Amino acid sequence: MATLVLDNGACTAKIGYSHEAVSIIPNCQFRSKTSRLKTFTANQIDEIKDPSGLFFILPFQKGYLVNWDVQRKVWDHLFGKEMFKVDFSDTSIIITEPYFNFSSIQESMTEILFEEYQFQSVLRINAGSLSAHHYFSSQPSELCCLLVDSGFSFTHIAPYCRSKKMKEGIRRVNVGGKLLTNHLKEIISYRQLHVMDETHVINQVKEDVCYVSQHFYKDMKVSQMKGEENTVVRDYVLPDFSSIRKGFCKPPDEMVFSGKYKTGEQILRLANERFAVPEMLFHPSDIGLQETGIPEAIVDSIQSLPEEMQAHFYQNVVLTGGNTLFSGFRERLEAELRSLAPAHLPVSVLQPQNPISYSWEGGKLLAHSPDYDELIVTRDDYEENGHFICEEKFDM
Amino acid sequence: MVLEKKGSARVEAGQRRVLDEATRQRRLTRQLDALEKDNFQDDPLSSLPPPGPTARLPAFSETEEPEKKKRKTRGDHFKQRFRKNFTTLLEEENLSERAEPNYLSAAAPPSSLPPRHFCCVCGFPSHYTCTTCGGRYCSSRCLCTHRETRCLKWTL
Repeated sequence: MATLVLDNGACTAKIGYSHEAVSIIPNCQFRSKTSRLKTFTANQIDEIKDPSGLFFILPFQKGYLVNWDVQRKVWDHLFGKEMFKVDFSDTSIIITEPYFNFSSIQESMTEILFEEYQFQSVLRINAGSLSAHHYFSSQPSELCCLLVDSGFSFTHIAPYCRSKKMKEGIRRVNVGGKLLTNHLKEIISYRQLHVMDETHVINQVKEDVCYVSQHFYKDMKVSQMKGEENTVVRDYVLPDFSSIRKGFCKPPDEMVFSGKYKTGEQILRLANERFAVPEMLFHPSDIGLQETGIPEAIVDSIQSLPEEMQAHFYQNVVLTGGNTLFSGFRERLEAELRSLAPAHLPVSVLQPQNPISYSWEGGKLLAHSPDYDELIVTRDDYEENGHFICEEKFDM
Repeated sequence: MVLEKKGSARVEAGQRRVLDEATRQRRLTRQLDALEKDNFQDDPLSSLPPPGPTARLPAFSETEEPEKKKRKTRGDHFKQRFRKNFTTLLEEENLSERAEPNYLSAAAPPSSLPPRHFCCVCGFPSHYTCTTCGGRYCSSRCLCTHRETRCLKWTL
Protein backbone atom coordinates (compact mmCIF):
# COMPACT_ATOMS: atom_id res chain seq x y z
CA MET A 1 0.00 0.00 0.00
CA ALA A 2 1.29 3.47 -0.90
CA THR A 3 1.54 6.18 1.73
CA LEU A 4 0.91 9.79 0.84
CA VAL A 5 2.50 12.35 3.15
CA LEU A 6 0.78 15.74 3.17
CA ASP A 7 2.07 18.57 5.34
CA ASN A 8 -0.97 20.76 4.89
CA GLY A 9 0.34 24.26 5.61
CA ALA A 10 -1.64 27.48 5.47
CA CYS A 11 0.41 28.79 2.56
CA THR A 12 1.96 25.78 0.87
CA ALA A 13 1.17 22.09 0.93
CA LYS A 14 4.21 19.85 1.12
CA ILE A 15 3.07 16.67 -0.57
CA GLY A 16 4.54 13.45 -1.95
CA TYR A 17 4.46 9.67 -1.70
CA SER A 18 6.67 8.20 0.98
CA HIS A 19 8.88 6.56 -1.65
CA GLU A 20 9.26 9.72 -3.72
CA ALA A 21 10.50 13.29 -3.27
CA VAL A 22 8.50 16.20 -1.90
CA SER A 23 6.66 18.81 -3.96
CA ILE A 24 5.92 22.22 -2.48
CA ILE A 25 2.66 23.54 -3.89
CA PRO A 26 0.58 26.60 -2.99
CA ASN A 27 -2.36 25.49 -0.83
CA CYS A 28 -4.81 28.04 -2.15
CA GLN A 29 -6.70 29.34 -5.14
CA PHE A 30 -5.97 32.45 -7.17
CA ARG A 31 -7.83 34.90 -9.34
CA SER A 32 -6.04 37.20 -11.69
CA LYS A 33 -7.02 40.57 -13.05
CA THR A 34 -6.41 39.53 -16.63
CA SER A 35 -8.47 36.34 -16.77
CA ARG A 36 -11.37 37.36 -14.62
CA LEU A 37 -13.61 34.38 -15.05
CA LYS A 38 -11.15 31.71 -14.15
CA THR A 39 -10.09 30.51 -10.74
CA PHE A 40 -6.67 28.91 -10.60
CA THR A 41 -5.98 26.16 -8.11
CA ALA A 42 -2.66 25.39 -6.41
CA ASN A 43 0.16 25.02 -8.95
CA GLN A 44 -1.98 26.36 -11.80
CA ILE A 45 -0.50 29.68 -10.68
CA ASP A 46 2.25 28.95 -13.21
CA GLU A 47 -0.32 29.26 -16.01
CA ILE A 48 -1.15 32.85 -15.08
CA LYS A 49 0.62 35.04 -17.60
CA ASP A 50 0.31 38.27 -15.66
CA PRO A 51 0.31 37.59 -11.91
CA SER A 52 0.11 41.25 -10.90
CA GLY A 53 -2.72 42.10 -8.54
CA LEU A 54 -3.19 38.40 -7.78
CA PHE A 55 -6.17 37.66 -5.56
CA PHE A 56 -5.67 34.89 -2.99
CA ILE A 57 -8.36 32.56 -1.68
CA LEU A 58 -6.91 30.74 1.30
CA PRO A 59 -8.57 27.83 3.10
CA PHE A 60 -6.89 28.82 6.37
CA GLN A 61 -7.65 31.62 8.81
CA LYS A 62 -5.09 32.43 11.49
CA GLY A 63 -3.49 29.07 10.82
CA TYR A 64 -6.64 26.98 11.21
CA LEU A 65 -8.53 25.28 8.42
CA VAL A 66 -11.92 26.95 8.07
CA ASN A 67 -12.83 27.09 4.40
CA TRP A 68 -13.45 23.51 3.40
CA ASP A 69 -14.82 24.40 -0.03
CA VAL A 70 -11.47 25.82 -1.05
CA GLN A 71 -9.51 23.09 0.70
CA ARG A 72 -11.47 20.36 -1.06
CA LYS A 73 -10.90 21.98 -4.44
CA VAL A 74 -7.16 22.14 -3.77
CA TRP A 75 -7.12 18.53 -2.57
CA ASP A 76 -9.20 17.40 -5.55
CA HIS A 77 -6.55 18.95 -7.73
CA LEU A 78 -3.61 17.51 -5.78
CA PHE A 79 -5.02 13.99 -5.51
CA GLY A 80 -6.43 14.03 -9.05
CA LYS A 81 -5.05 12.89 -12.35
CA GLU A 82 -3.12 16.07 -13.03
CA MET A 83 -0.93 15.69 -9.98
CA PHE A 84 -0.62 12.63 -7.76
CA LYS A 85 -3.13 10.23 -9.34
CA VAL A 86 -4.08 8.83 -5.95
CA ASP A 87 -5.64 5.37 -6.00
CA PHE A 88 -7.71 5.80 -2.85
CA SER A 89 -8.44 2.08 -2.48
CA ASP A 90 -4.73 1.42 -2.05
CA THR A 91 -3.40 4.52 -0.29
CA SER A 92 -3.01 5.63 3.28
CA ILE A 93 -2.39 9.24 4.21
CA ILE A 94 -0.33 11.09 6.79
CA ILE A 95 -1.72 14.59 7.18
CA THR A 96 -0.63 17.42 9.46
CA GLU A 97 -2.64 19.81 11.59
CA PRO A 98 -1.68 22.80 13.75
CA TYR A 99 -1.19 22.59 17.52
CA PHE A 100 -4.39 22.77 19.57
CA ASN A 101 -6.51 22.19 16.49
CA PHE A 102 -10.22 22.58 17.21
CA SER A 103 -12.15 19.36 17.60
CA SER A 104 -14.76 20.33 15.02
CA ILE A 105 -12.01 20.84 12.43
CA GLN A 106 -10.50 17.48 13.33
CA GLU A 107 -13.87 15.79 12.98
CA SER A 108 -14.52 17.37 9.60
CA MET A 109 -11.08 16.40 8.41
CA THR A 110 -11.32 12.71 9.26
CA GLU A 111 -14.83 12.62 7.85
CA ILE A 112 -13.73 14.11 4.54
CA LEU A 113 -10.64 11.94 4.24
CA PHE A 114 -12.48 8.70 4.99
CA GLU A 115 -15.88 9.36 3.49
CA GLU A 116 -15.27 11.65 0.55
CA TYR A 117 -11.87 10.48 -0.56
CA GLN A 118 -12.06 6.94 0.86
CA PHE A 119 -8.47 6.65 2.05
CA GLN A 120 -7.59 3.27 3.54
CA SER A 121 -6.02 4.71 6.65
CA VAL A 122 -5.35 8.13 8.13
CA LEU A 123 -2.70 9.44 10.47
CA ARG A 124 -3.46 12.96 11.63
CA ILE A 125 -0.47 14.47 13.41
CA ASN A 126 1.16 17.82 14.24
CA ALA A 127 3.80 18.91 11.75
CA GLY A 128 6.10 19.40 14.73
CA SER A 129 5.78 15.76 15.75
CA LEU A 130 7.02 14.76 12.31
CA SER A 131 9.94 17.20 12.62
CA ALA A 132 10.75 15.77 16.05
CA HIS A 133 10.66 12.26 14.60
CA HIS A 134 13.05 13.40 11.89
CA TYR A 135 15.40 14.98 14.41
CA PHE A 136 15.49 12.03 16.78
CA SER A 137 16.10 9.55 13.98
CA SER A 138 19.06 11.59 12.74
CA GLN A 139 20.36 12.24 16.30
CA PRO A 140 19.49 9.05 18.19
CA SER A 141 21.56 10.03 21.23
CA GLU A 142 19.52 13.17 22.01
CA LEU A 143 16.68 12.99 24.52
CA CYS A 144 14.87 16.27 23.97
CA CYS A 145 14.44 18.86 21.30
CA LEU A 146 12.75 22.23 21.08
CA LEU A 147 11.14 22.97 17.74
CA VAL A 148 10.75 26.50 16.50
CA ASP A 149 8.28 26.37 13.63
CA SER A 150 7.94 29.80 12.07
CA GLY A 151 5.43 29.57 9.27
CA PHE A 152 2.94 31.64 7.34
CA SER A 153 0.36 32.27 10.06
CA PHE A 154 2.31 32.14 13.28
CA THR A 155 5.37 30.83 15.07
CA HIS A 156 5.17 27.93 17.46
CA ILE A 157 7.70 26.87 20.07
CA ALA A 158 7.16 23.19 20.84
CA PRO A 159 9.26 21.07 23.21
CA TYR A 160 9.47 17.32 22.62
CA CYS A 161 10.93 14.73 24.96
CA ARG A 162 11.57 11.71 22.77
CA SER A 163 8.31 11.24 20.91
CA LYS A 164 6.29 12.90 23.64
CA LYS A 165 4.95 16.38 23.02
CA MET A 166 5.22 18.56 26.14
CA LYS A 167 1.92 20.39 25.78
CA GLU A 168 2.45 22.71 28.72
CA GLY A 169 5.55 24.15 27.05
CA ILE A 170 4.01 25.05 23.71
CA ARG A 171 4.05 28.78 23.00
CA ARG A 172 2.61 30.69 20.08
CA VAL A 173 3.88 34.02 18.80
CA ASN A 174 1.34 35.53 16.41
CA VAL A 175 3.94 36.63 13.90
CA GLY A 176 4.29 34.73 10.66
CA GLY A 177 5.22 35.23 7.04
CA LYS A 178 1.85 36.72 6.16
CA LEU A 179 2.17 39.48 8.74
CA LEU A 180 5.70 40.27 7.58
CA THR A 181 4.65 40.52 3.94
CA ASN A 182 1.64 42.67 4.80
CA HIS A 183 3.77 44.94 6.94
CA LEU A 184 6.36 45.36 4.19
CA LYS A 185 3.54 46.05 1.73
CA GLU A 186 2.16 48.69 4.06
CA ILE A 187 5.41 50.58 4.61
CA ILE A 188 6.46 50.48 0.95
CA SER A 189 3.01 51.78 -0.03
CA TYR A 190 3.27 54.60 2.47
CA ARG A 191 6.85 55.57 1.72
CA GLN A 192 7.26 55.14 -2.01
CA LEU A 193 4.95 53.18 -4.27
CA HIS A 194 1.42 51.88 -3.87
CA VAL A 195 1.75 48.10 -3.81
CA MET A 196 -1.10 47.11 -1.50
CA ASP A 197 -2.59 44.86 -4.20
CA GLU A 198 0.67 43.10 -4.94
CA THR A 199 0.97 40.53 -2.15
CA HIS A 200 2.54 38.01 -4.51
CA VAL A 201 5.21 40.41 -5.78
CA ILE A 202 6.04 41.87 -2.37
CA ASN A 203 6.34 38.41 -0.87
CA GLN A 204 9.07 37.79 -3.44
CA VAL A 205 10.70 41.12 -2.52
CA LYS A 206 10.67 40.04 1.12
CA GLU A 207 12.30 36.70 0.32
CA ASP A 208 14.93 38.35 -1.88
CA VAL A 209 16.08 41.35 0.15
CA CYS A 210 15.09 40.98 3.80
CA TYR A 211 17.54 39.68 6.37
CA VAL A 212 17.84 39.43 10.12
CA SER A 213 20.18 42.03 11.52
CA GLN A 214 22.87 40.95 14.01
CA HIS A 215 23.33 44.48 15.40
CA PHE A 216 20.02 46.22 14.95
CA TYR A 217 20.86 49.78 15.95
CA LYS A 218 24.21 49.65 14.16
CA ASP A 219 22.46 48.64 10.94
CA MET A 220 19.94 51.44 11.53
CA LYS A 221 22.83 53.93 11.60
CA VAL A 222 24.41 52.49 8.45
CA SER A 223 21.13 52.55 6.56
CA GLN A 224 20.76 56.26 7.35
CA MET A 225 24.07 57.19 5.69
CA LYS A 226 24.35 58.75 2.29
CA GLY A 227 26.03 57.45 -0.84
CA GLU A 228 28.32 54.47 -0.89
CA GLU A 229 28.82 54.39 2.86
CA ASN A 230 25.31 53.01 3.08
CA THR A 231 25.98 49.31 2.63
CA VAL A 232 22.43 48.31 3.57
CA VAL A 233 20.43 50.04 0.85
CA ARG A 234 19.40 47.96 -2.16
CA ASP A 235 17.55 48.82 -5.32
CA TYR A 236 15.02 46.19 -6.26
CA VAL A 237 13.83 45.97 -9.85
CA LEU A 238 10.14 45.13 -9.88
CA PRO A 239 8.85 42.67 -12.45
CA ASP A 240 6.64 44.04 -15.23
CA PHE A 241 5.62 40.52 -16.35
CA SER A 242 6.54 41.19 -19.95
CA SER A 243 10.32 41.58 -20.23
CA ILE A 244 11.08 41.03 -16.52
CA ARG A 245 9.32 37.91 -15.27
CA LYS A 246 10.82 37.95 -11.82
CA GLY A 247 12.07 40.86 -9.70
CA PHE A 248 15.69 41.04 -8.64
CA CYS A 249 18.20 43.15 -6.74
CA LYS A 250 20.42 45.51 -8.72
CA PRO A 251 24.02 44.39 -8.33
CA PRO A 252 25.80 46.90 -6.03
CA ASP A 253 28.19 48.08 -8.76
CA GLU A 254 25.27 49.08 -11.01
CA MET A 255 23.50 51.10 -8.33
CA VAL A 256 22.98 54.81 -8.93
CA PHE A 257 23.05 56.71 -5.64
CA SER A 258 21.89 60.07 -6.88
CA GLY A 259 19.50 60.74 -9.71
CA LYS A 260 17.43 58.27 -11.66
CA TYR A 261 18.16 55.14 -13.61
CA LYS A 262 18.18 55.60 -17.33
CA THR A 263 16.87 52.12 -18.04
CA GLY A 264 13.32 52.98 -17.02
CA GLU A 265 12.53 49.92 -14.89
CA GLN A 266 10.38 50.34 -11.83
CA ILE A 267 12.65 50.48 -8.80
CA LEU A 268 12.02 50.09 -5.09
CA ARG A 269 14.70 51.51 -2.85
CA LEU A 270 14.90 49.52 0.35
CA ALA A 271 17.04 50.52 3.31
CA ASN A 272 15.88 49.98 6.90
CA GLU A 273 12.90 47.98 5.60
CA ARG A 274 15.31 45.15 4.80
CA PHE A 275 15.94 44.25 8.42
CA ALA A 276 13.18 46.13 10.27
CA VAL A 277 10.56 43.78 8.81
CA PRO A 278 12.02 40.42 9.97
CA GLU A 279 12.74 42.18 13.28
CA MET A 280 9.04 41.68 14.13
CA LEU A 281 9.85 38.02 14.80
CA PHE A 282 12.17 39.09 17.59
CA HIS A 283 10.26 42.15 18.82
CA PRO A 284 6.54 42.01 17.98
CA SER A 285 6.09 45.05 20.22
CA ASP A 286 7.71 47.18 17.49
CA ILE A 287 4.34 47.25 15.72
CA GLY A 288 2.34 47.34 18.94
CA LEU A 289 1.68 43.60 19.24
CA GLN A 290 1.97 42.92 22.97
CA GLU A 291 3.80 39.61 22.81
CA THR A 292 7.28 38.32 23.47
CA GLY A 293 9.56 37.70 20.53
CA ILE A 294 10.83 34.23 19.62
CA PRO A 295 13.92 34.21 21.91
CA GLU A 296 11.95 35.27 24.99
CA ALA A 297 9.14 32.85 24.15
CA ILE A 298 11.68 30.02 23.96
CA VAL A 299 13.00 30.89 27.41
CA ASP A 300 9.44 31.16 28.76
CA SER A 301 8.63 27.75 27.29
CA ILE A 302 11.74 26.05 28.67
CA GLN A 303 11.21 27.54 32.12
CA SER A 304 7.78 25.95 32.30
CA LEU A 305 9.33 22.48 31.94
CA PRO A 306 10.97 20.20 34.54
CA GLU A 307 14.33 21.57 35.59
CA GLU A 308 16.37 18.46 34.81
CA MET A 309 15.29 18.63 31.16
CA GLN A 310 16.04 22.31 30.61
CA ALA A 311 19.71 21.86 29.72
CA HIS A 312 18.75 19.40 26.96
CA PHE A 313 16.28 21.79 25.40
CA TYR A 314 18.77 24.67 25.21
CA GLN A 315 21.17 22.37 23.39
CA ASN A 316 18.68 21.11 20.84
CA VAL A 317 16.81 24.01 19.33
CA VAL A 318 15.71 23.08 15.80
CA LEU A 319 14.45 25.63 13.29
CA THR A 320 11.72 24.78 10.78
CA GLY A 321 9.38 26.85 8.63
CA GLY A 322 9.97 29.40 5.90
CA ASN A 323 10.80 32.41 8.08
CA THR A 324 13.94 30.72 9.35
CA LEU A 325 15.35 31.10 5.84
CA PHE A 326 16.03 34.81 6.37
CA SER A 327 19.81 35.06 6.33
CA GLY A 328 21.19 35.64 9.79
CA PHE A 329 18.14 34.17 11.54
CA ARG A 330 19.97 31.27 13.17
CA GLU A 331 22.94 33.38 14.29
CA ARG A 332 20.75 36.08 15.79
CA LEU A 333 18.54 33.59 17.61
CA GLU A 334 21.54 31.77 19.00
CA ALA A 335 23.11 35.04 20.18
CA GLU A 336 19.89 36.23 21.85
CA LEU A 337 19.24 32.86 23.46
CA ARG A 338 22.80 32.80 24.74
CA SER A 339 22.30 36.10 26.51
CA LEU A 340 18.95 35.03 28.01
CA ALA A 341 19.81 31.46 29.04
CA PRO A 342 21.54 30.61 32.33
CA ALA A 343 25.28 31.07 31.85
CA HIS A 344 26.31 27.50 32.73
CA LEU A 345 24.08 25.87 30.11
CA PRO A 346 25.39 25.46 26.56
CA VAL A 347 23.09 26.77 23.82
CA SER A 348 22.95 25.39 20.32
CA VAL A 349 20.54 26.26 17.52
CA LEU A 350 20.38 23.96 14.54
CA GLN A 351 19.03 24.86 11.15
CA PRO A 352 18.33 21.87 8.92
CA GLN A 353 19.18 21.91 5.22
CA ASN A 354 15.63 22.51 4.14
CA PRO A 355 13.53 23.92 6.97
CA ILE A 356 10.35 24.06 4.86
CA SER A 357 10.17 20.36 4.03
CA TYR A 358 11.83 19.15 7.25
CA SER A 359 8.59 17.89 8.75
CA TRP A 360 7.52 16.30 5.46
CA GLU A 361 10.80 14.34 5.46
CA GLY A 362 9.96 13.32 9.01
CA GLY A 363 6.62 12.00 7.77
CA LYS A 364 8.41 10.07 5.09
CA LEU A 365 10.64 8.44 7.72
CA LEU A 366 7.65 7.73 9.93
CA ALA A 367 5.83 5.96 7.09
CA HIS A 368 8.69 3.46 6.90
CA SER A 369 9.16 3.05 10.64
CA PRO A 370 7.96 -0.15 12.36
CA ASP A 371 5.67 1.86 14.68
CA TYR A 372 3.66 3.28 11.83
CA ASP A 373 0.94 0.61 11.88
CA GLU A 374 0.35 1.28 15.57
CA LEU A 375 -0.35 4.95 15.01
CA ILE A 376 -2.82 4.94 12.15
CA VAL A 377 -6.58 4.61 12.11
CA THR A 378 -7.74 2.26 9.39
CA ARG A 379 -10.96 2.43 7.45
CA ASP A 380 -12.35 -0.57 9.31
CA ASP A 381 -11.58 1.05 12.67
CA TYR A 382 -13.28 4.24 11.57
CA GLU A 383 -16.36 2.51 10.23
CA GLU A 384 -16.64 0.53 13.45
CA ASN A 385 -16.00 3.29 15.98
CA GLY A 386 -16.42 6.58 14.13
CA HIS A 387 -14.67 9.73 15.20
CA PHE A 388 -14.16 8.46 18.74
CA ILE A 389 -11.31 6.14 17.70
CA CYS A 390 -9.47 9.02 16.04
CA GLU A 391 -9.68 11.16 19.15
CA GLU A 392 -8.25 8.31 21.17
CA LYS A 393 -5.47 7.32 18.82
CA PHE A 394 -4.27 10.68 17.61
CA ASP A 395 -4.02 12.02 21.18
CA MET A 396 -3.53 15.66 20.24
CA MET B 1 9.33 75.44 2.17
CA VAL B 2 8.81 72.63 4.65
CA LEU B 3 11.15 74.15 7.18
CA GLU B 4 9.28 77.46 7.25
CA LYS B 5 6.18 75.82 8.63
CA LYS B 6 8.14 74.39 11.50
CA GLY B 7 6.85 75.57 14.84
CA SER B 8 6.98 74.15 18.32
CA ALA B 9 4.84 71.08 18.55
CA ARG B 10 4.17 71.74 22.23
CA VAL B 11 2.84 75.27 21.76
CA GLU B 12 0.49 74.16 19.05
CA ALA B 13 -0.74 71.22 21.08
CA GLY B 14 -3.14 73.34 23.07
CA GLN B 15 -5.29 74.08 20.06
CA ARG B 16 -5.18 70.66 18.47
CA ARG B 17 -7.64 67.86 18.94
CA VAL B 18 -6.22 65.09 21.07
CA LEU B 19 -7.31 61.50 20.57
CA ASP B 20 -8.13 59.68 23.80
CA GLU B 21 -6.62 56.36 24.85
CA ALA B 22 -9.58 54.29 23.64
CA THR B 23 -9.43 55.75 20.15
CA ARG B 24 -5.72 55.18 19.97
CA GLN B 25 -6.19 51.57 21.01
CA ARG B 26 -8.93 51.12 18.39
CA ARG B 27 -6.64 52.49 15.70
CA LEU B 28 -3.88 50.12 16.73
CA THR B 29 -6.23 47.14 16.68
CA ARG B 30 -7.42 48.15 13.24
CA GLN B 31 -3.85 48.35 11.98
CA LEU B 32 -3.01 44.95 13.43
CA ASP B 33 -6.16 43.42 11.90
CA ALA B 34 -5.17 44.84 8.54
CA LEU B 35 -1.90 42.92 8.79
CA GLU B 36 -3.90 39.68 9.00
CA LYS B 37 -5.80 40.27 5.78
CA ASP B 38 -5.24 37.93 2.84
CA ASN B 39 -6.00 40.56 0.20
CA PHE B 40 -6.25 44.31 0.15
CA GLN B 41 -8.17 44.58 -3.09
CA ASP B 42 -11.64 43.23 -3.85
CA ASP B 43 -12.18 39.90 -5.50
CA PRO B 44 -12.03 40.54 -9.26
CA LEU B 45 -14.93 38.10 -9.62
CA SER B 46 -17.16 39.71 -7.01
CA SER B 47 -18.83 42.01 -9.52
CA LEU B 48 -19.94 39.01 -11.56
CA PRO B 49 -22.54 36.45 -10.53
CA PRO B 50 -20.90 33.32 -9.12
CA PRO B 51 -20.27 30.74 -11.84
CA GLY B 52 -21.43 27.14 -12.02
CA PRO B 53 -24.78 25.49 -11.33
CA THR B 54 -23.88 24.75 -7.68
CA ALA B 55 -23.79 28.39 -6.69
CA ARG B 56 -27.01 29.34 -8.44
CA LEU B 57 -29.33 31.60 -6.48
CA PRO B 58 -32.21 29.72 -4.88
CA ALA B 59 -35.35 29.78 -6.97
CA PHE B 60 -38.16 29.96 -4.45
CA SER B 61 -41.02 29.39 -6.82
CA GLU B 62 -39.64 26.14 -8.24
CA THR B 63 -41.32 22.95 -7.10
CA GLU B 64 -38.60 20.62 -6.05
CA GLU B 65 -38.43 16.95 -6.69
CA PRO B 66 -38.06 14.81 -3.58
CA GLU B 67 -34.63 13.37 -4.46
CA LYS B 68 -33.26 16.80 -5.18
CA LYS B 69 -34.55 18.02 -1.87
CA LYS B 70 -32.73 15.29 -0.04
CA ARG B 71 -29.45 16.28 -1.64
CA LYS B 72 -30.03 19.86 -0.79
CA THR B 73 -30.54 19.23 2.91
CA ARG B 74 -27.27 17.34 2.95
CA GLY B 75 -25.60 20.28 1.31
CA ASP B 76 -27.07 22.66 3.86
CA HIS B 77 -25.91 20.44 6.62
CA PHE B 78 -22.40 20.49 5.20
CA LYS B 79 -22.53 24.23 4.81
CA GLN B 80 -23.60 24.76 8.37
CA ARG B 81 -20.96 22.49 9.72
CA PHE B 82 -18.15 23.57 7.49
CA ARG B 83 -18.84 27.28 7.08
CA LYS B 84 -17.60 28.74 10.29
CA ASN B 85 -14.95 31.33 10.62
CA PHE B 86 -12.10 31.30 13.05
CA THR B 87 -13.76 33.46 15.69
CA THR B 88 -16.89 31.31 15.82
CA LEU B 89 -14.83 28.16 16.14
CA LEU B 90 -12.78 29.69 18.91
CA GLU B 91 -15.89 30.70 20.81
CA GLU B 92 -17.46 27.28 20.39
CA GLU B 93 -14.48 25.53 21.91
CA ASN B 94 -15.05 27.47 25.14
CA LEU B 95 -11.36 27.28 25.89
CA SER B 96 -11.11 29.77 28.72
CA GLU B 97 -12.87 27.30 31.01
CA ARG B 98 -10.52 24.41 30.28
CA ALA B 99 -7.66 23.51 32.56
CA GLU B 100 -5.35 21.69 30.14
CA PRO B 101 -3.06 23.65 27.78
CA ASN B 102 -5.03 25.03 24.83
CA TYR B 103 -5.00 27.64 22.07
CA LEU B 104 -5.55 30.54 24.45
CA SER B 105 -3.09 29.46 27.12
CA ALA B 106 -0.35 28.86 24.53
CA ALA B 107 -0.23 32.51 23.47
CA ALA B 108 3.11 34.13 24.23
CA PRO B 109 2.86 36.53 27.21
CA PRO B 110 3.62 40.27 26.87
CA SER B 111 7.31 41.05 26.69
CA SER B 112 9.22 42.06 29.79
CA LEU B 113 11.44 44.34 27.72
CA PRO B 114 10.48 47.98 27.30
CA PRO B 115 8.95 48.73 23.89
CA ARG B 116 11.19 50.31 21.27
CA HIS B 117 9.99 53.26 19.27
CA PHE B 118 10.32 53.93 15.57
CA CYS B 119 9.28 56.85 13.46
CA CYS B 120 6.03 55.93 11.76
CA VAL B 121 7.08 57.85 8.66
CA CYS B 122 10.66 56.81 7.95
CA GLY B 123 11.16 53.86 10.27
CA PHE B 124 14.27 55.11 12.06
CA PRO B 125 14.50 55.23 15.88
CA SER B 126 12.32 58.06 17.17
CA HIS B 127 12.40 60.22 20.26
CA TYR B 128 9.17 62.19 19.98
CA THR B 129 5.49 61.43 20.28
CA CYS B 130 2.77 63.17 18.32
CA THR B 131 0.63 64.94 20.91
CA THR B 132 -2.52 64.44 18.87
CA CYS B 133 -2.55 60.73 18.07
CA GLY B 134 0.37 59.22 19.96
CA GLY B 135 2.23 58.20 16.81
CA ARG B 136 6.01 58.45 16.87
CA TYR B 137 8.22 60.70 14.79
CA CYS B 138 11.92 61.46 14.58
CA SER B 139 12.19 64.96 13.11
CA SER B 140 10.02 67.96 12.34
CA ARG B 141 10.10 66.95 8.70
CA CYS B 142 8.58 63.57 9.50
CA LEU B 143 6.07 65.29 11.83
CA CYS B 144 4.88 67.41 8.90
CA THR B 145 4.44 64.37 6.68
CA HIS B 146 2.71 62.56 9.51
CA ARG B 147 0.23 65.40 10.08
CA GLU B 148 -0.51 65.73 6.41
CA THR B 149 -1.10 62.07 5.74
CA ARG B 150 -1.79 60.02 8.83
CA CYS B 151 -2.40 61.87 12.07
CA LEU B 152 -6.10 62.66 12.04
CA LYS B 153 -6.87 61.41 8.58
CA TRP B 154 -5.70 58.18 7.13
CA THR B 155 -4.67 58.72 3.55
CA LEU B 156 -2.17 56.33 2.15
